[in-house]
Amino acid sequence: MKLAIVGAALLAIVAGIAFYVASQGAKRAATGTAENALTVTITDATCDPNEITVAAGPSTFTIVNNSSRTVEWEILDGVYVVEERENITPGLSRTLTTKLAPGDYDITCGLLSNPRGKLHVTPSAASAAEAAKPSMTAFIGPLAEYKVYLAIEAGRLVAATRQFADAVKAGDLELAKTLYAPARIPYGHIAPAAERFADLDTAINARAVYFEKLEDDAGFGGFHRLEHGLFAKSSTDSLAPVADKLLTDVILLQQRLRELQLAPETMAEGAARLLDRVADSAGSGDEDRYSRSDLSDIQAKLEGIRKVAALLQPLTEKADPALAGNLEAQFDATFTKLASFRQQDQYPSYDRLNAADRQAIADQLRALAAEIRKLNAALGLG
Amino acid sequence: MRERDSSGLGATPPTATSRRRILIGLGAAGGALTGGLVTGKAAAAEIESVTNAPISDKTQERQPFYGVRQSGIVTPRPAAGMVASFDVLAKTPADLVRLFQTLTERIAFLTQGGEPPSLDPKLPPSDNGILGPMVTPDNLTITASVGASLFDERFGLKDHKPKRLVQMMSFPNDALEVSLCHGDLSLQFSSNTPDTNIHALRDIVKKLPDLLLLRWKQEGSVPVMAATPGKPPESARNFLGFRDGSANPSPADADLMERIVWVQPDGDEPGWATHGSYQAVRIIRNFVERWDRTPLQEQQAIIGRHKATGAPMQGGSEHDVPDYASDPEGKTTPLDAHIRLANPRTHGSQANLILRRPFNYSNGVTKSGHLDQGLLFIAYQSDLEKGFITVQKRLAGEPLEEYIKPIGGGFFFTLPGAADERDFLGRSLLEAAGIAQPAN
Amino acid sequence: MTLRLPLMALALASALGSLAGTARAAVAPMDLVGPMSEYKLYVSEKLQTLVADTRAFTDAVKAGDIEKAKALFAPARMSYEAIEPVAELFSDLDVSIDSRADDYEHGEQDPAFPGFHRIEYGLWAQNSAAGLGPVADKLMADVDELGKRIAELTFPPEKVVGGAAALMEEVAATKISGEEDRYSHTDLWDFQGNFDGSRKIFELFRPLVEKDDPAFVEKVEANFATLDKTLSKYKMGDGFETYEKLTDADRKILAGAVNTLAEDLSQLRGKLGLN
Repeated sequence: MKLAIVGAALLAIVAGIAFYVASQGAKRAATGTAENALTVTITDATCDPNEITVAAGPSTFTIVNNSSRTVEWEILDGVYVVEERENITPGLSRTLTTKLAPGDYDITCGLLSNPRGKLHVTPSAASAAEAAKPSMTAFIGPLAEYKVYLAIEAGRLVAATRQFADAVKAGDLELAKTLYAPARIPYGHIAPAAERFADLDTAINARAVYFEKLEDDAGFGGFHRLEHGLFAKSSTDSLAPVADKLLTDVILLQQRLRELQLAPETMAEGAARLLDRVADSAGSGDEDRYSRSDLSDIQAKLEGIRKVAALLQPLTEKADPALAGNLEAQFDATFTKLASFRQQDQYPSYDRLNAADRQAIADQLRALAAEIRKLNAALGLG
Repeated sequence: MRERDSSGLGATPPTATSRRRILIGLGAAGGALTGGLVTGKAAAAEIESVTNAPISDKTQERQPFYGVRQSGIVTPRPAAGMVASFDVLAKTPADLVRLFQTLTERIAFLTQGGEPPSLDPKLPPSDNGILGPMVTPDNLTITASVGASLFDERFGLKDHKPKRLVQMMSFPNDALEVSLCHGDLSLQFSSNTPDTNIHALRDIVKKLPDLLLLRWKQEGSVPVMAATPGKPPESARNFLGFRDGSANPSPADADLMERIVWVQPDGDEPGWATHGSYQAVRIIRNFVERWDRTPLQEQQAIIGRHKATGAPMQGGSEHDVPDYASDPEGKTTPLDAHIRLANPRTHGSQANLILRRPFNYSNGVTKSGHLDQGLLFIAYQSDLEKGFITVQKRLAGEPLEEYIKPIGGGFFFTLPGAADERDFLGRSLLEAAGIAQPAN
Repeated sequence: MTLRLPLMALALASALGSLAGTARAAVAPMDLVGPMSEYKLYVSEKLQTLVADTRAFTDAVKAGDIEKAKALFAPARMSYEAIEPVAELFSDLDVSIDSRADDYEHGEQDPAFPGFHRIEYGLWAQNSAAGLGPVADKLMADVDELGKRIAELTFPPEKVVGGAAALMEEVAATKISGEEDRYSHTDLWDFQGNFDGSRKIFELFRPLVEKDDPAFVEKVEANFATLDKTLSKYKMGDGFETYEKLTDADRKILAGAVNTLAEDLSQLRGKLGLN
């Protein structure tokens, strides 16, 4: 049991650190130090100065009311109020800190009958880069789509697992064996999001090597336990309760995914983490040790990861077209590499691949992971 | 005559005797007199009446009629307009000549003003009398244009059709009602007041019952403004609340007008068409209730200008040129904003300029209880394909389409002007077709 | 696990807080993800029904079974009318599935007049299915294509939220007068579809607005209730009576509620911080 807990805790810590680092980055970007502190004095007739130029980015204005009336100070973009400070009483001053995009704005100067001043905001390197980054609103669509994808694939997983479990419980060895790999395909599709639920991931997908007593450990269950029984022992004996539990866990996973509150950065993060793990097990050939259906598994996970990238693609294109291009290229290369092993439209058993082949797959997966790891930064997600 | 004090204001009513004298003197029957200003010398003094004619100091404004080119195109657009489209009922070439000669006489009279002939009262009057016994010009221009259908087999004009004149086609967002489309002849009326236009239309209809049959008409107006001395003039607003005409080519630029408005003698158009122009008329319904429920920033993104000032999205004033070169991705002015699609301001788009002269219309109420309002769009160009047709094709799929629906209009060719009293509108065409004799 | 969750929550909160940017609404963009995904699932369900219903309808048309086709016409349209905010994003398909004779210069006789209403004209005005085979085939192909495109579309949030108002605008401007199904007079079915589609969107986003403006929510719900109550007077079997049965008084009640909903729901995007 120890190893299982260690494994789960390890996953937890890794995830937690990733989140923490991401959020720190985001905080740093938004709360910059005030760089352009400027004093604007409002008199009865005008503003002084009446024409201001600042660089794009965070700016601080100190508005001093030297007129005889309570005034407000507004930065206007046409008729749209970008920022304002209201109720500045005579003799007092207020501070306004804002982040301005490049352009020309009007500023009101006291009484509405006073002529307006001008505020010129010049582009800066930071603003140019910022302009490319999507706003939070831009992620609503992709995230909603991803939730729907997860819901649909989870539904497919439940259906396929039910069929698989029924075959196992009916003692139909041959049928169960043919249903094993196909049931894992929808699991692969949702893996970038599902693997964050360490408890369910352990219960559904953990490999024997994580358990103290390996294949004989009482805690070893899920897909690979069934795989072991069907392919290594060629028997469905004592697998019925394992199949039942697998189905229960998969249904619970479906529920959790439905309730999951996704944050934008978790999409690419989950994809990158998964890719690293897949690369590791591709090299060692450890994922489907008994059925040797690793290539099918890898493809399914790759498809799930590609879905993430595809949903983010319109935003990536705008923010960093070079990265978008590289991602496309790496995905193509990875799928091509996998497809190169197909024989008559089927994947061969993984033990047909020699060490060099497995390494080549692992290397290609790592190359893809390297590009995906650049996504969040490019999208302004810390 | 029974006296009735219907002033209802609690003012001391005049005595019965004085009231009777006033009533007889005015020949009025029971007209309500408000206030207590009434005396025996009422006829000469100020009479307040809710129905006194509003005073205008512009009724004598006059636009020239005779000229190489018709008026009403580069003429500054006044507050009231109308397009009336007709079927030509003429059966013979001689009829056609009579039609255009009579039309020319009427337009000359109506636009210059004067006294219509007085007839025996047993006869119907010669003038409808809307403007009173003297017809005042009131800045009226009447511009005559001919449709592609006039160039059919009827009058042998087929070989003389202007090269690009076609019956108006349907564009993707259109819902054209046949009863509001096309026509053999269009007349564009514009003047200071709707009544001047109506007076003129009724005059022409009365004078040519056997030669013209009204097909459709649409009146319109533009909001007036107080004078703003020292500031540049502003374009009038349309019923979406936006300034309409901000980037309109300027008649002050004579070379530009020659290039984009007037048919030139050295082109591939028939010779008679020189000094004419193509006229595109579109009746475009605006879904105003829906527009009024749309967020301001969305309205501005759809049109591509600031609503209050008419300035381009980058700021400045209404007459500043939008700067698209430094905005290639449309972050300031969206790529599908109306003005950006209509004129992307590339080097090539200079060939597609048109001169717009629209009015806003407000008709009735739809079956759904919504307002039937919109734009009477009128544009002039020397080449219909490079002008309106190209621009309209660019607008396909624009976000504004949610709020507008073209339902009528037509393509016409505006005839060259009548040079003097011996000339008449359409003479150059009829001469080219061998229907009219050259003037000596 | 105990390690992870608090960290997650903390990190999420700070990430979202510092990234809230210039949104002027009290609603954080990420709050919209849940309702958006629910809406896509709703649309997917409606599409499945639409595809199945359209197949049955077009089969009946091609078999020349006029009575059956007439019975299947209005129910098939209900699913389309419910998802119009998204369907309309594909204007080419919207035109070929749902345009009316007015949009064509030669009206009903125009050979380009397609879709549901072309078939409606044949079945009711001409009492014949002759020549409608190709129109039916095209309608089926278009509905299939619509399903594919919608499945691949990342729904734009502003179009979904704005769709609630847009549906009411359509009814207010062009449908309340009975112009939509002018041959079959099955407009009341269409109305139910439109009202359901609009209400679904409102219900999904309602929790985000309710805290700040319960009065707004109450007013909108009341108007939806008026629509339901008024329309349900005309229920007949699984469907509705013909539009001609709609009394003037009820038509005005519907018009008032629909126009007011269009007005109120036009605030929704702004309240949710969307463009």
